[in-house]
Amino acid sequence: MNGPRLAAGAVACAALLALTACTPRDGADVDGDPGELTIVDSLPAGTKAVDEVTWAIAEGEPATLNPAASANLIIPNLCDNLLSLQPDFSIEPGIATSAEFVDPVTFVIELRDDVTFWDGSPVTADDVVYSLQQGMNPESQWYGAFALVVPDPATGIVATGPNEVTVHFVAPDSTFRDALAGQGGAVMQRAFGEAAGDALGTPDGGLMCTGPYELADGGWKPGSAITTTANADYWNGAPLVKTLTYTFVNEGSTLATALTQGEIDGAINVSPSSRAVFEGDGAGTLTIGHSTASYSFGPTTATGPAANPKIRQALSLAIDRDQYLQTVVNGLGYVQKTLVPEFSFQSMAEADVYQAGYDALTDPEVDLEQAKQLVADSGEDVSEPLVIAVPAGAKEFEQTATIMQAAGEKIGLDLVIDEMQASDFGALFYDPAKREGVDFVATQGYLETPGVLGYPSLFVLPAEQGGIFNWSGYDDGEVTAHMMAARNATDAEAAANEFVAAQAVYAPDQPQVTLAGTYQLTYLNDDLTGVTTSVAAYSSPWALHLGGQ
Amino acid sequence: MNTLTRMLLGRLGGLLLTLLLASIVIYSAVLLTGDPIAALAGGAKPTPELIAEIRAEYHLDDPVWQRYWEWLTGAIQGDFGRSFVYKTAVTTLVAPRFAITLQLVLLTVVLILVFGVGSGILAATRGRAVDRAVATATSLGMALPTFVVAILLIWIFAKSLGWFPVYGEGDGVWDRLWHLVLPAISLAVLFIAYISRVTRSALVAQLHSEHVDTAKVRGIPRRRVFGAHVFRNASPQILAIAGTTIAGLFAASAIAEVAFGLGGIGSLLVQAAARADLPVVQIVSLLLVTIFVVLNAAADLVSALIDPTSVEGGALA
Repeated sequence: MNGPRLAAGAVACAALLALTACTPRDGADVDGDPGELTIVDSLPAGTKAVDEVTWAIAEGEPATLNPAASANLIIPNLCDNLLSLQPDFSIEPGIATSAEFVDPVTFVIELRDDVTFWDGSPVTADDVVYSLQQGMNPESQWYGAFALVVPDPATGIVATGPNEVTVHFVAPDSTFRDALAGQGGAVMQRAFGEAAGDALGTPDGGLMCTGPYELADGGWKPGSAITTTANADYWNGAPLVKTLTYTFVNEGSTLATALTQGEIDGAINVSPSSRAVFEGDGAGTLTIGHSTASYSFGPTTATGPAANPKIRQALSLAIDRDQYLQTVVNGLGYVQKTLVPEFSFQSMAEADVYQAGYDALTDPEVDLEQAKQLVADSGEDVSEPLVIAVPAGAKEFEQTATIMQAAGEKIGLDLVIDEMQASDFGALFYDPAKREGVDFVATQGYLETPGVLGYPSLFVLPAEQGGIFNWSGYDDGEVTAHMMAARNATDAEAAANEFVAAQAVYAPDQPQVTLAGTYQLTYLNDDLTGVTTSVAAYSSPWALHLGGQ
Repeated sequence: MNTLTRMLLGRLGGLLLTLLLASIVIYSAVLLTGDPIAALAGGAKPTPELIAEIRAEYHLDDPVWQRYWEWLTGAIQGDFGRSFVYKTAVTTLVAPRFAITLQLVLLTVVLILVFGVGSGILAATRGRAVDRAVATATSLGMALPTFVVAILLIWIFAKSLGWFPVYGEGDGVWDRLWHLVLPAISLAVLFIAYISRVTRSALVAQLHSEHVDTAKVRGIPRRRVFGAHVFRNASPQILAIAGTTIAGLFAASAIAEVAFGLGGIGSLLVQAAARADLPVVQIVSLLLVTIFVVLNAAADLVSALIDPTSVEGGALA
C-alpha cells in the first residue's frame, strides 16, 4: 500500500495521490489533437561520459532525502530498493536476488553479497533489517505496506543468515513484495542512520545508501542545490555522469525557458501547459511516458449531497472528459474509468484478469438527461451551493473546479470554488475541522509502485481499516470483504479476482470521481539520453544510464 | 553630548523598540496564518497519534506568550529555531540566501542611483526637451510592474538574443554578476523612474530658491552653484526617499528572484510561507523589518551629515 501521500509542499498541492493509467491503445486521441502520441518509457542508454548534468526538480526542494519519510525524484538515484522496478512497471531482482513468501506468513529475502555502501562497507542482513524496520514507524511514508508484519521489532523482521532476512506476518499479504520495489524497500546503513538520528536525510544529517550516485557531505545546500557524484563502485555498473546536480524550479514558465534555452539539462514532470514551448525549437525534446498519475475529485463530508453516490455520478455524467483533457493537460492525458489505472497492473501477474475487470467498467460519457434524473432521484436538497476546495494558484486545479462548476450548472447543481492556501489545503486531509463547510476536494496523485489495493483502500474501506480518506463514510460490506480477501490472498489469481469483484461494486459508486489520467512528461537536452521516462522514475534509479549520445 | 550622538542613541533605542514590537507582531501574526502540521509531518500520512506527537514535540499547544518568550530568549542568543521543513537551523538556511539578495539589491541600487539620480539631474538642468523626454520615460517606467519587466527582459535578452541567462545565480564573481543583470534591471526600472522624479523636483525647487539666485548674482560659477548649493540642499530629500526605496528593495526582490529562479531570501520567504515553515517566515520577516529600519536610520544619518540643520528640522522624525 504505498502510494498515497499527503504532499505538504507548496508546490505540489498534490494532496492525495492517485492513480491512473494508460495503455497505448486508448492513448491520447482526444478531440482536436490529431494523431496518436508516442509513448516511451525509457530512452536508450547513454554511451558517452559526461562531466556534469544539471537537473531541475519541478516539484521544488524536498524536505528530506530520507527514503522512509519522503518520495521525490532525487532519492531513487541515491538509495536502491531491494527489488528493482523497471520502466514498464515490472519488477526484477535488485539488491535482493530473491524475495518470496516461503509459506503464507513467512517472507524470505536473499541478498547479493557484493553490494557496498558509498563508504565501501558491505551491505549486511542487519542493515536490511534496520532499513525495513523504518517502515514499521507510523511516521513512515510506507507504513501501510508493513501493516500486516508482526509488530514486535524483535521477531517481525529478523536476520536469518549473513545474506538473508526473514519477515514474519500476522496474515498473508499479497501486496508486500510489490512494496519492496518502492522506497518501502530502500536500503540504508544502520550505523549511519542510528548516528544521524532524526537528522537522517536532512541537509545536516546526510545519508548512507548504495545507489549509483552519492550524496557528499555538504552536498545539499538548502535552498539552492543538491550535488551528487557518480558511485564508481556501483554494483550494477558506474554511471556515465560524474556530477549530477539538482536545482529547484517550481515556477513552470521559468523552468520551460531554462530547459529550452539549454541552461538546465532536464526535468521530469514538466508542466503540460508549456507543451507548445517544449515541442517548439529548443535545446531538448519532450518525451511522453506512462504514468499512474490522474486528476480526480471526491467528497469531504459524510452528510449532504456530496456524500450521496447519485450526486457524484450525476456530476461525472455532466463532465466532458475530452474537453477536460484539452483544457487541463493540453491533450497530454487520456480518459480513465476508475481509481486504479491500467499501468498499475499491466506488468503484474494475472494482468489479464485486472484488464478484463477494467474493461468491464462503463466508459465515462456525457449524458445530461440521466444526470438530471440522478439529481432528482437522489432525494437531496440541492438548493444550497456545494463547495469545491482547490489549492490557490494551481492552474490545473482551478480549471478542474471551473469545469466541475460548469457541469454542475447544466444539471441544476450550484457549485462554488474555495481556493485555499497550500497549507490550509494540506490540512484538509487530516484535520476534520478544516473540512467543515467543504463538500468536494479536487486532487491529483500517483502510485510509485505496481499494485491495485493501496489506492482504493483509502477511499472505500472503513477508516479503522485504512480508509483514511473515506470521509463520506462509504461502507459496503461486500467491498470490504473482497478488498481484505485480495490483500490476504496467497496466490495471484485469487488476489486479482477478489480485487476485480470489489472494483465492480465500488467503481460505479464513484467514491472518488476520476477525471483524467495523465502522462509522465520528461524534457531532456538533445545531447543526453538514458533516463527512465515512465512513472517508474519515482522508484528506480532513473539516471543510472544517463549519458551523452 | 552633541546633537549627532544624541540622535544616534535615540535612533538605536528606537530601533531596538521597533524590532521588539515587530517581533511580537510577526510572531503572533505568523502563528495565526497557518497550521504547521502539514509541514511538520513531511510526507507521512498524518494519523491522529502522529499529529499529537508533533504538537507535543513542537509545543504547539503551549500558550502563545510562552512560545514567544522561548523564541525571543533563543533569538537573543542567536538561536532562531529550526526550519519545520528542512529541520535545520534557520540561520544556516538564511545566511547564504541573504548574500544573494544583498548582491542583487546592491546592483539594483547602483542602477537606481546612476540612472535615477542621473536622469533627474538631466531633467532639471538640460532644458525643456530633455525634461519632457525624461518625464515620458519615467511615466512608462512607473507603469511597468517588476514582473512585466522581468518577462520582457527574459523574452528579449535571454530567449531571443541569448545574451543573458534566464535562470539561477551562477558561480564566481563574473558569472554571478552576469546572472544578476536582468533581475536587477527588472527590479530597478520602477524605482529609477521614481527616484528620477524625486530628484528632478527637489532640484527644481532648489534652482528656484532665493539663495541660488543670490549665489548666481554674486557671480559664483554655475557648476559650483549646482554642486555646493542646489545638489547639496536637495540631497537630504533625495536620500531620505532613496533610503526608503532601497530598504523596500529587499522585500520587492522576491518578485525578481522568483521570476529568474534566484535563491535569495525573497524566494525563500515565498516558499516558506506556502509550506507553513513558520520559523523561516519569522526570521525572514524580522530581517526585512530590521533592514528597513536600519537603512532608514542610515539615510537620516547621512542626510544629517550633509545638512546638520535637518536634525532639528524634523526630517528625522
